[in-house]
Amino acid sequence: MDLVTALENLLVELEAGLQKAFSPEDMEALRVDVLGRKGRLAQIMSRLPSLAPADRPAVGQAANSVKERCNALFKARRRALLLQSEAVALQRFDPSLPGRAPWRGSLHPTTLVTEEVCGIFTEMGFEVASGPEVENDYYNFEALNMPPDHPARDMQDTLYISDKVLLRTHTSPVQVRSMLTRTPPLAVIVPGKVYRRDSDLTHTPMFHQIEGLMVGESVTMAHLRGTLTAFVRGVFGAGTEVRFRPSFFPFTEPSAEVDISCCMCGGRGDHKDEPCRVCKGTGWVEILGCGMIDPEVFAAVKYSDAVSGFAFGLGVERVAMLKYGIGDLRMFFENDARFLRQFA
Amino acid sequence: MLLSLSWLCEFTPYEGNAEALGDRLTMLGLELENILRPYAAISAIVVGEVTACVKHPESDHLHLCKVNAGQEYLLDIVCGAPNVAAGQKVPVALVGTRLPDGTVIRKAKLRGAPSFGMICSERELGMTEDHSGIMVLPEDALPGARLVDTLDLDTEVLDISITPNRSDCLSVLGLARETANAFHLPVTIQELPVTEDKTRPEALVPIDIENADLCRLYSGRVIADIRAAPSPPRVRRRLHAMGVRPISNIVDVTNYILLECGQPLHAFDLDKLRGGRIAVRTAQNNEKFTTLDGQERALTNRDLCICDAERIVGLAGVMGGLNTEITQTSRNVFLESAVFKPESIRKTSRRLGLSSEASCRFERGIDQRRTVWALDRACAMMAAFGGGVVRRGLSRAEPKPFAPVAVAFRPEKADALLGVTLNREFCEATLTRLGCVVNKGSVWRVTQPSWRPDLTREADLIEEVGRMHGLDAIPPVLPPMCKSLDRAGQSRSDYFFLSRVKHWGAGLGLNEAVNYSFVGHKDLDHLGLPRQGRISIVNPLSAEQDVLRTSLAPGLLQSLRNNLAQGAQGLRLFELAHIFEEHADADVAPAQGQLPTAARETGMLGILLYGARYDVAWPHAEEDMDYADIKGIAEHLLNFLHLPAPGWETVNNHPWLLPCVEMRLAGRTVGCMGRVKSALADAFHARKGVWLAEFNLDALCAMHDMACVRFTPLPVYPPVRRDITVIAGPTLRVSHVLDHMAKLALPLLAEALLADVFEPQEGAERHLTFRLTFRHPSRTLKDAEVDKEREKVAQSLVEALGVRV
Repeated sequence: MDLVTALENLLVELEAGLQKAFSPEDMEALRVDVLGRKGRLAQIMSRLPSLAPADRPAVGQAANSVKERCNALFKARRRALLLQSEAVALQRFDPSLPGRAPWRGSLHPTTLVTEEVCGIFTEMGFEVASGPEVENDYYNFEALNMPPDHPARDMQDTLYISDKVLLRTHTSPVQVRSMLTRTPPLAVIVPGKVYRRDSDLTHTPMFHQIEGLMVGESVTMAHLRGTLTAFVRGVFGAGTEVRFRPSFFPFTEPSAEVDISCCMCGGRGDHKDEPCRVCKGTGWVEILGCGMIDPEVFAAVKYSDAVSGFAFGLGVERVAMLKYGIGDLRMFFENDARFLRQFA
Repeated sequence: MLLSLSWLCEFTPYEGNAEALGDRLTMLGLELENILRPYAAISAIVVGEVTACVKHPESDHLHLCKVNAGQEYLLDIVCGAPNVAAGQKVPVALVGTRLPDGTVIRKAKLRGAPSFGMICSERELGMTEDHSGIMVLPEDALPGARLVDTLDLDTEVLDISITPNRSDCLSVLGLARETANAFHLPVTIQELPVTEDKTRPEALVPIDIENADLCRLYSGRVIADIRAAPSPPRVRRRLHAMGVRPISNIVDVTNYILLECGQPLHAFDLDKLRGGRIAVRTAQNNEKFTTLDGQERALTNRDLCICDAERIVGLAGVMGGLNTEITQTSRNVFLESAVFKPESIRKTSRRLGLSSEASCRFERGIDQRRTVWALDRACAMMAAFGGGVVRRGLSRAEPKPFAPVAVAFRPEKADALLGVTLNREFCEATLTRLGCVVNKGSVWRVTQPSWRPDLTREADLIEEVGRMHGLDAIPPVLPPMCKSLDRAGQSRSDYFFLSRVKHWGAGLGLNEAVNYSFVGHKDLDHLGLPRQGRISIVNPLSAEQDVLRTSLAPGLLQSLRNNLAQGAQGLRLFELAHIFEEHADADVAPAQGQLPTAARETGMLGILLYGARYDVAWPHAEEDMDYADIKGIAEHLLNFLHLPAPGWETVNNHPWLLPCVEMRLAGRTVGCMGRVKSALADAFHARKGVWLAEFNLDALCAMHDMACVRFTPLPVYPPVRRDITVIAGPTLRVSHVLDHMAKLALPLLAEALLADVFEPQEGAERHLTFRLTFRHPSRTLKDAEVDKEREKVAQSLVEALGVRV
């Protein structure tokens, strides 16, 4: 048998061998057998010197061609095997298997509300300020027009550290501290923890408030209404209505309590013909207290009477309860992970 | 304050319903809390006329009655009351009516006689305790009419919350003024002139007031020949509807006047008033006095007292004394009507924990011009109710008559503050209707009415015109930006830093917790935290909340317990909050002369890890969290804040962590972490390791502010990596090896990391594999020179640390 025929046979045999090769090991064994250093191609080529020199180039060319075609056969078979194994793998692929879940963190609902509210006010140009939670009576009460033995002190049951030091009952002392350290115009927003000596279904001894304050040369109650309307719509939606009811706070005059149209029943007061539970059928929900800063407060911080300003304060938990539909205030401080994880 | 609609209508002709009134008053700042209907349960009871009444032939006490209840035919009703008689008008519960006790009246047969209803006693109607017989109504009652209409009962009562500034609205009269104002109605007062007994001489009680500031007016009258009896039914029913228990024609009148006019009255037994005189003075320190409730109380020299010639007989404005109490045998009464200084009354009432309807009104201010008027009105009522005879003469001392304040009022100032343009006529009319006297000029002079002690400043008047205009009618306008350029570039509130850390924690996969700032001393004791420096609460709600926390650990551990009680398998909490420590100098150098609080508040971050590392098992391995988890989080935080790697120092005597590792940066401790001692964790029902870390956020914030991010150019030439495995005993720390390599300061060694730890079963040695990265800044390294460098490191480790490599 001449060498060229032997070479051609080699291709036929390789093709047959590849059909039976399924694993990388099979493929490698076949490669060594055919193309290895001592493989069959090499063996055929080792007979080349026995040929007449004139025949050698033709056989050499044939050998090179066969080698290339062998490589091509191997490559094709490899690709076929790869496709086959991918197809098998794809059959076993179960997209419904759970993901390798990273930890799921969450922010406390009071943080979410605080950040949303502070975000709205900083957009309007308010600066964030803060102050101590253990507070001097002067900043918490006296400078806010609540001298000792003032009946208004009954409105806030106080936890005391000593005669003159207490846990702040509202974030309003930061109003005083801010005005004492700055000159008008100023606009600040103060988030923080506050404390009252009160604990029942609807009161916890600690809760969160956000205080707002704006002082300038011609700040009016119309500005207060505009600012709070913008805030309320930002939090509860563009259609929310705002209602100002006159009220009393020692540090503002006029004072008002602000109601918003009930977000549960849309201000209708009923829910499928039942009185709405959130607004007790009134269509309105109380959300914050506010007013024009009382002249006594300006006197305490030695501001001239040419300035005017407004202040407001809202309960963060109250907003969170309305916004997220949380019914029980105490859940805020039990830190049940099943509760916390709902506020990612 | 409870306001009966029918009582209100005695002062102003309001014709609307209770809801409309409540809504209007709410928008005037008098918030409606609720509408009570005290007689709702008997609204179905009707008037019946007994046209015939005969004894039941089969019974010794039952009567067979024919009753006209306004229907076309007469009803047969069997009645067992002894006092039933023909011709009476009586309350009848028809068939189907439900009585206040829940009984539903049905057709019945009593000893063979059919009965179609029931004639009721006062007790059966829930009106009084009288069950001696049926209730007999006035003769002019109309058969078939509703009982509640016939008796003109107070069927609708508004519960209105009154803000502390509106003392005038703690009375029907005051609320009638507001109602009249709101609906443009007149206020008319039915005067009750007092008729004195002309036959006997004047009966005056001398009054001596020690301090005119504490008692501006004290007045009284003597009522003689007391005949204690029930008040007329109308008064009793009205008091009942207002939640006040009717007692007698003397006591009921004082309560009635208090509610009607807002003037508290007090009745002394005149015969027990020694010396027949009154002195108003402050008590001596530690003077003892027994109040009406039988309690002996030690007084101070700040308590204002009413005295007779010898002793204290009353705590002014707060409570009377047992020694001069009105009893069944009292014959003569001295009725007091006075004005005391609000702050003084409040102090005493607060100190003794004695708050009453009277003290609450004295604390807020009394209409001094109605004090004597109210006294006379009360005397007239008492006499009219057969309670006694009013003796001639008014005892009165008024060292400080009411002097109304006149305030300058600028309508343009009101416009400027409210942001509206108010009609000048509107302002004048509003203030006048409120009872002010308005003198117009370039500046208006506005004089307050005696019943509005809260109107003493221009701001108060602006509030009134704003209130009557309607705060809700002011158009909302966004203010122009209100900022000072001085603030630009000034440091911002730590709010933004704290917010970043919170988002870091949540992003990392921790759940933010919020615990109370106070815990119990015993919680801090449990963790062995020092007693010194704690800040206690003087009046805590409970022993569980009597001290401010000095660590976030107790709260986080409490949260762990709550979660374990709910069956939690794993927990990853974080909390940002203040801890509180006593600190005498905390505000010793306060900025701008700020007042001290003697407290230091430090912002802290607490992290608690417990139990299963992953919330869902597959494809994660089911493993519990350990030291590597908490330390990894700590390292992540410092990296997040652009801070360098800290020094980690083991602390051996930490009170509640074991092991405990402290983090030190720039020479100060910025946090610590470790495992809560298992004996302590046990109290929180933790069965597995509780890993806790606390960071001083204030310190980290300050360092973060100083840290600046500087870009390092990226290396141009490729790194070459080599591993070194160090074999050593268990006391060799990874940090020993890394520190040593760092100390070598080899210029080509760019980085060294721990790659693997292998602990063979036998033997105490550990195999620590470190991965070293070599790099040259300006060319590619050759394998041979890297091998040489690696060998240098290996040799040095063997020599310096005595390890095998």
